[in-house]
Amino acid sequence: MNLKRIIYLVLAIGIFSSVALAFFYIKQKNFSETYKEFLTSMYNLENAQANLNYLILQNSVYAYHNHDSIFQKQQEILDAYNILKNSAILYDARYGSVKLSLEQLKDQLKENNEKIEQYLMLNAGIKNSLLFLARHVDNASKTLEAKQCTQECQDTFLQASTILKHYNDASRTQDIDYISNVNLLLSNRSTEEKDKEFVNSFNLHAAYLKKQYPQYLAITKSIFNNDVSSTLKKLRNDFTTLTLSDFQALNAFTFILFGVFLLFLSTISYLFFVYVKENKKLLETKESLEYSLIYDQLTKLYNRASLEQKLNQIEKPHILLINIDNFKNINDIYGNSFGNNLLVKLARFLEIKFAKIKNSGIYRLGGDEFGVLFSDIENSIALNIAHVLEKEISSHSFIFGDMEVHITVSISSNSIHPILENADLALKLLKKDVSRSVIEFKESLNLKRSVRENLQMLEAIKTAIFEDRIVPYFQPIVNLQTLKIEKYEALVRLILQDGQCLAPYKFLETAKKSYLYEEITRIMIKKSMQVAKEYPQYRFSINISMRDILNEDITNSLFKKFDAEREVASRIDIELLESEDLHNFDKTQEFIQKVHSYGAKILIDDFGSGYSNFSYFATLDIDSVKIDGSIVREITTNERKLHMLRSIHQFSHGMEILDIAEFVETKEIALLLCEIGVTYGQGYYFGMPLCAPLESDVVTLS
Amino acid sequence: MFKLLISLLIITFSYADEPIVPIPLNEPVNVEKAKLGKELFFDPALSRDNSTACVNCHNIYNGGADERIVSEGFNGAKGNIQSPTVLNARYNFKQFWNGRASNLLEQANGPLTNPAEHNMDSQKVELRVNSSEKYKKSFQAVYGVSYIKYALVLDAIVEFENALTTPNSKFDRYLRSQEELSKQEKEGYTLFKQYGCITCHNGINVGGNSFQKMGTFIAYNTNKKFPDKAAISNDERDINVFKVPTLRNISLTAPYFHDGSAKTLKEALTAMSKHNLGIKLSDEETAKIIAFLETLTGQRPKILDLF
Repeated sequence: MNLKRIIYLVLAIGIFSSVALAFFYIKQKNFSETYKEFLTSMYNLENAQANLNYLILQNSVYAYHNHDSIFQKQQEILDAYNILKNSAILYDARYGSVKLSLEQLKDQLKENNEKIEQYLMLNAGIKNSLLFLARHVDNASKTLEAKQCTQECQDTFLQASTILKHYNDASRTQDIDYISNVNLLLSNRSTEEKDKEFVNSFNLHAAYLKKQYPQYLAITKSIFNNDVSSTLKKLRNDFTTLTLSDFQALNAFTFILFGVFLLFLSTISYLFFVYVKENKKLLETKESLEYSLIYDQLTKLYNRASLEQKLNQIEKPHILLINIDNFKNINDIYGNSFGNNLLVKLARFLEIKFAKIKNSGIYRLGGDEFGVLFSDIENSIALNIAHVLEKEISSHSFIFGDMEVHITVSISSNSIHPILENADLALKLLKKDVSRSVIEFKESLNLKRSVRENLQMLEAIKTAIFEDRIVPYFQPIVNLQTLKIEKYEALVRLILQDGQCLAPYKFLETAKKSYLYEEITRIMIKKSMQVAKEYPQYRFSINISMRDILNEDITNSLFKKFDAEREVASRIDIELLESEDLHNFDKTQEFIQKVHSYGAKILIDDFGSGYSNFSYFATLDIDSVKIDGSIVREITTNERKLHMLRSIHQFSHGMEILDIAEFVETKEIALLLCEIGVTYGQGYYFGMPLCAPLESDVVTLS
Repeated sequence: MFKLLISLLIITFSYADEPIVPIPLNEPVNVEKAKLGKELFFDPALSRDNSTACVNCHNIYNGGADERIVSEGFNGAKGNIQSPTVLNARYNFKQFWNGRASNLLEQANGPLTNPAEHNMDSQKVELRVNSSEKYKKSFQAVYGVSYIKYALVLDAIVEFENALTTPNSKFDRYLRSQEELSKQEKEGYTLFKQYGCITCHNGINVGGNSFQKMGTFIAYNTNKKFPDKAAISNDERDINVFKVPTLRNISLTAPYFHDGSAKTLKEALTAMSKHNLGIKLSDEETAKIIAFLETLTGQRPKILDLF
């Protein structure tokens, strides 16, 4: 997982946990507030209900009582009930039983309030009547004390006090039995007006009490035995059970949230760890980059960039470029790590040597090349230092374990601007010269001009290709027995813009160092075949180098053309340029076979010079050899060359290979060749290369 | 022995603390709202024919009730019951004679929409008040609204009514031990308690906190039909049952009872003692009780002196 993804992940976790936290906080807060509110209201309701009962009890005991407190309590109950009824907790369907209990409670509270209204109505009359009766009897008792009372009168009092006692007992016990099945009215037996009035007044209230008291007792009892408290109890139980599970859910959520938070924390820690690690790596990379900007990693010397920078800073710079000879061979033989070790040792060696020389700095310019930069030094002194250094290095033994290695170096010295380029050119020149090890760059070396000419030539070739000025010239090849032209060799020419015709030795070497060479080969194949098609009486030779055979682009395009023109192909001789190593026999043989399959022939060019190798004939199916001009040219003047030619001729005849002699420049050479029996001849004597083959195939020896 | 029995019965019902409590001297009131409520209370524009203001039947300068037996409202229509006082109405446990409104807010809606009184409805009231620049400005200032809803009209009126309390009556001062009652008045209060008037007329409003049947002992005129509690509950036990009226400022709120049948306090006392106490008061007792009742007249509501 990459860093970016982790950051996104952390962000996501962060956002998620924040949202979850906020959500949880709100939910939890809402729930606990609602819960608290509900619980408080439930408590208030229960409390108010208990208080109400107490007030009713008080009211029933006291003769008179402030009813305000009762209706205030009822209002409190109503308020608490309304809060419960509108509580958000009831939106949850699971609280259905609580809701149901509340519905029940509503009816019960209403019923209870109605009972209390009834109670208060009855209570007033009943208390007033009881008090009246007591007062009535009390007032009359004065008469009794005055002994003005008859027996009947006394009986009436006794009866009245018995009735009072019944009510007294009933009200103290709240038991209706004390007043049921007993006489609660005075019988009017007295004839005295005063007694009658007493009895009538007494009975008015006694009758009222007799009628209302049972109702009063019943309603008082039913107020105290109402269903409200049991409903409240059920409500509380249901609510507590339900909220308990809700709180458990909230707890579980807290755990989950804590888990998410832990995850968040650990991811942050991990990220921080990664960040520190990455940062450290980055810092190291930065340091090494900064180092490698100035220093060479391997030898710890200053690098090429440092040198270039330094060159701009100092006055009169002078450089010694030191290159290890054949360093590639050392690498090949001992391995790269050994080579590297050698470079490091040489670097240390140079440091020691130049430690005492003022204004000098040592640089590694890349590969096996070192530079010593001086400022303000006499050319002769620098050159002297170079000579001494070269000797010291070649005589120094570089020790690797139990191995001793000796190296030689080439040193170029230069103080002419551009310093590095000139030193480089001088060093390159030095490398070609095995006799010297130290060179000083001078304008007189003309190094620059050859470079410039090379560049100009490349440019000229490029333009010529572009403007189609690469053309084949054709030199006749004559059968020395019949003196008839049988073949033409296609030779490349570059026509300059002014019409001047350049021979290959002027430009082909330069072209070979670039990709242009392939293009030239391609053009030659194409154009030669076009001409060959026009002259069906002749065979045509095309020059192909070993390098071309190994290049599949060229061989493919060649065979493509062969495929297109099979008749022409059968009249083509491929002249393999023998001046280079034929190091890939398999590939070459494969190519030769393919060429043969078209009826075309293979010819070895320049045989008898340079790298000539008889082993070709053993492994390759060669049709002809062309005896090198350096032999042919001198057969009339040099016995040895004549002998060489005879040998080659005999050898080739023995191998049933046709031979061609080039550079036939005089009649004498031609006649001698005829005499020896060489098959073909070619040279100025028979004809210069021309832009097109001749119509006539006859030549005469003049 | 008789004495023992009698005293036993009497102590069965112990006497509590004073069952009447004084009106608070300073009830917290939103004066701005109350002022607006007062304007509305006095405005006949709140009736369909612009004839009837609340104050027409609730003379708050003198007892808060109507001197007429029944009030006259829209188009001279007669009411069906005596106007109860609006003074100290906030202390009543329910409003109207039969308690059909549980608070002043519910009550205020009643007369406004009663066809025989203001004969309006909520839309009409809103139309009237919103067409008045004066009200629009006042409501904007007090409630911060540009359109006056009916509920706000009621709210303002209720706030004014909440301010209509009559504290500091002689009796309240007596309860606060700030003033002595005369012998006559004190004996009147004792009789008021002894005869059991107090069983119904108690609390801060000396009544107004329970229902009672008119005629517990001897049936009270049952021929005439009034909107009693039975009109709501359809319970025949509730026939002739009314909210016990307040006795505060009672000497100012004649005529008395739901039917306005008692022209004087004496008539009222006679009727009440006969029908609801089953006793006959002597002239002396009546005079004493009246003397007590007169100490219940409180100060004019402060709000009326403010603006």
